[in-house]
Amino acid sequence: MLLFRDEEHIEKWCKDWKLPRGATLTLNQSWRLANAWYGPDRRESEWKRKTVDEAEALFAELGLTSPFWKLRLRHPFYSPL
Amino acid sequence: MSTEEEKAFFDKHVRRFVYDYAMNEGLPPKVEQAASGLRTTAADVEASFQRLADAYILVLQKASREILMANPFSAVPTPFLVRAGDQTYYGNCIWDAMGIPPMLNKDARIETSCGCCRTAMELTIEKDELAEATGLVHFAIPAARWWDDIVFN
Repeated sequence: MLLFRDEEHIEKWCKDWKLPRGATLTLNQSWRLANAWYGPDRRESEWKRKTVDEAEALFAELGLTSPFWKLRLRHPFYSPL
Repeated sequence: MSTEEEKAFFDKHVRRFVYDYAMNEGLPPKVEQAASGLRTTAADVEASFQRLADAYILVLQKASREILMANPFSAVPTPFLVRAGDQTYYGNCIWDAMGIPPMLNKDARIETSCGCCRTAMELTIEKDELAEATGLVHFAIPAARWWDDIVFN
């Protein structure tokens, strides 16, 4: 996950890396996601990784509801490098 | 240490040590540092690191089996430098870099650059708020495939 100056720079990066366009978040969305993901103290004995359902619910809270954010989906359109 | 219950109990101690160490020292510990800190053997720590990696809690370096990532912290320098108080940290990506201040519960400055042109970019977190800034975050890989290649991701 990278930070870019603007849309034009994301487009150029995707073209340079021959990757399809992924998902773009505003800084505010990213900040809220980072807070929710890393806020719970991982040093605590009770801490557990989020389940698929919990992670998808968090994405949905942030308005991230497209197939890109579905953890059970396979993505035939995406080929790793 | 023989039973699964004992291993799970030990792994919680290791996880706590890893994160305490990273938060205080800026980087996750090496096997020897964790063994010394936990007063146990390197073999026990290596086995625990592997179990934590199998559970997607740590990412290990392929050759050495030392920690590469204890998310959000990176054990190696990355383009996502986080300054908080007198300490510096490296995030694995911009998401992780933004996750370090809430994990530390501290104000911080993230020094990074545009993924495309490398122009310097900075984000500031003060009093649990992200200061106004310009920029967009791009996730290249669909969520279901993040762990296919977590290092690229």
